[in-house]
Amino acid sequence: MSFFLMLLAGFFLPLFPLSMVFNALLARTKNPIVRVLLIFIWPQIGVFLLAWAGLPLDSGFFVGWAVLTAIFYAWRLLTVRVLSQWGGMLATSAWALAWIIAADLPANSELHSFALWMSVAPALLIFIATALQERFGAAYSGLVVGLARALPRLSSVIVVVVLAAMALPVFPSFFAMLVLLAHASTFFALPILLTWLLWSWAGTRLLNGFVFGPRAETEAADLSSTTTWGFIGLIVAIVVINLIWTGA
Amino acid sequence: MMKLQWLIPLLPLLSALLVQLFAARLGKRVAHLSVALGTLTVIVAAYQLVTYIGSDASPSWHSLGTMWGSLYVDPLSSIMSLVVAGISLIVHIYSIRYMTEEPGYPRFFLLLDLMTASILLMVAAGDLVTLLIAWHMIGIMLYFLLGQNTESWPSQRYAFWTFITYRLGDLPLVLAAVLLYQTYGAIDFPTLFARIAADPNATIMGLPTAITAAFLVALSAFAKSAQFPLHTWLPYTMEGPTPVSALMHAGIVNAGGFIINRFAPVFVHSDGVLHMLFVVGLITALVGSVLMLTQNDIKKSLGYSTMGQMGFMVMECGLGAFSLAVFHLIAHGLFKGTMFLGSGSMIHEARQHDGVPHNPLYTFLVERKSASIKLPWLFIGLATLVVPLFILVIAHWFVAPDFFEKQGAIVLLFFGWITGVQVLFATHHLDANNPIRMMMMILLSFTLIVLGYTFIGHAFENFLYPEEAFRNALYHAAGIDKLTFDGLVFLLALIVVAGWFSSYLASREKSIFGDRFGAVRLMLYSLISREFYVADLYDRMAHWLLDASKRFNVWMRWY
Repeated sequence: MSFFLMLLAGFFLPLFPLSMVFNALLARTKNPIVRVLLIFIWPQIGVFLLAWAGLPLDSGFFVGWAVLTAIFYAWRLLTVRVLSQWGGMLATSAWALAWIIAADLPANSELHSFALWMSVAPALLIFIATALQERFGAAYSGLVVGLARALPRLSSVIVVVVLAAMALPVFPSFFAMLVLLAHASTFFALPILLTWLLWSWAGTRLLNGFVFGPRAETEAADLSSTTTWGFIGLIVAIVVINLIWTGA
Repeated sequence: MMKLQWLIPLLPLLSALLVQLFAARLGKRVAHLSVALGTLTVIVAAYQLVTYIGSDASPSWHSLGTMWGSLYVDPLSSIMSLVVAGISLIVHIYSIRYMTEEPGYPRFFLLLDLMTASILLMVAAGDLVTLLIAWHMIGIMLYFLLGQNTESWPSQRYAFWTFITYRLGDLPLVLAAVLLYQTYGAIDFPTLFARIAADPNATIMGLPTAITAAFLVALSAFAKSAQFPLHTWLPYTMEGPTPVSALMHAGIVNAGGFIINRFAPVFVHSDGVLHMLFVVGLITALVGSVLMLTQNDIKKSLGYSTMGQMGFMVMECGLGAFSLAVFHLIAHGLFKGTMFLGSGSMIHEARQHDGVPHNPLYTFLVERKSASIKLPWLFIGLATLVVPLFILVIAHWFVAPDFFEKQGAIVLLFFGWITGVQVLFATHHLDANNPIRMMMMILLSFTLIVLGYTFIGHAFENFLYPEEAFRNALYHAAGIDKLTFDGLVFLLALIVVAGWFSSYLASREKSIFGDRFGAVRLMLYSLISREFYVADLYDRMAHWLLDASKRFNVWMRWY
């Protein structure tokens, strides 16, 4: 029974190739609100299934599979250019790491929070993708480069969200990664760090494809001051809540 | 005192916030706001250092009362805070005019302030999490500072090289922190170091924690301080603005030396890792120096010079001379920062007039025309070989008679001697009316330098590591068995003498080697001119990974 529950959880805390279901679903969903909801709810179902299967997990096979999935998707992330797809693959890579915590903890509360914090950056990326689509018809890396000079407010928001996606301080995903490493064995620590490094590489490629480069010749309007401050306020609120959560 | 210590990283942070808020209203005048708060930071840091020395205080730790978020005030953090704040202030002042024509002027000062805050937080961090946050932030800020010109692809390319190498350096430190926490159950430095001292042989999953953590910290330091083969980013970062180069070469790149010193209580139980530091530092110093000498681009040459110096710094740590590494990084920082900040006016001046002095010194150093030797051979031999050794030995014996019992100290003395010999040997050809007087002046200068360095270095060591037992333990951990040590010293001396001899034979008008080693020399030159193909290798690997990733994505239909 627990094996099948874990296999089912493999769709929600994605294990390759079961992970393709989530990525296909995200690609077919067009409404940004539904996409964001999907990103927040999907991994939580996986956590419930794992809790049902019994925590801590007693399956090195599933944990090993999850770690390989995380690295695999982080590596694939390097050449993904569609922003929403990028967010989906990042989420796949990050959620897969939850299996490591599941193998070490008897309670599922930390697992729920890990999945939640790892969903923040992919969800924010969906909003960015929507803003870009409205202006250029597509949120495609390399389509319009040099936004830093042309649309500075939008660029600032893109930079902040991509830094969050790379799990850098002081964003929630950074602390989630520290928690993860504290629960990981030395054997799994190296692949986790490699995954983290690949996210950073992929993130800088994304910035090069949107923000940097010769000034874009575009008539598109920048984000309004209110929207920018609203977005920054949201991110600051998320960071502060996370800092309180992690004990700062 | 502790409350004031919090101001040191917080003032630049406040400055960044104010720059962002008032940039639209104040325009370029916002830079003066940044400079004013930078000056205040220097004053607070200087006051803290003076108070620390004056009150004869012992290290103290102060927390915000939360799980993480604390400062550790000890001699290392006090002196480093002042150095960092001082260099940052100079860079700020310099940038006011230098950056005025550049787009993104307020952003530059915002980033400069955030970078300063990150470094100041790093040097004073009192726990592992605070240290990790600051350590990561430095890489992020440097990435954006180097990419200040957002429209330049080369800037972005080399900013990326730096960022990814820094990320490579971030992650081992994370792992080291996790291992230390898992083994000793503490993240604050005083408790952690006390527990390590009480149980240095603790293990985790069969691995000795102290040695493994020291190894990981060393890896982290290698990436941040451009140690071979993680050095490729450093010489290419000159695409960034000159003030950033100055800040980077004067401060940021020294992070490796700092972090090794911060974790000295871990390294003292990790003799094998100290030996690795020595070897990696030595290779880096050699490679950096060779590449520096073969560059035709002055900025790249400066970059490789820094790499060589960083190699020496790590090597000093490997010898157990931790305080000397800090002394070195401060001295090098001030020296290299001055060079970078002065480079603009030098170029400007050179464009006005060539500035060639046409005196014997210029003829000797630049045109490589030496005078016929006017001093007796025996005198030159004695002066170049014996006198530097005599001066070095007397100076060190005077400040610390037990100095010669430490192997690391002997190696440093050996390097000092070789350097002194090289200087004297190279300058005795200098054309002068009174060669004896000239040689005496050179010897006097050498004596002053050695005495100054020895006394200051010794006082600095006592300040940084006041416990004599700990200092000795560091030297002891860096030591090797006597027979191997003597053998290595003999081998090294042999290599140096052979090098001198072959250089002498090869530089004669008619080399006795003829063209026998022509092909080997050509191959060696090709290797050096391509910088040992290290960057090309990384580039090839990166392309391979990207190509494979793209093919896989297409095959998987991007799901």
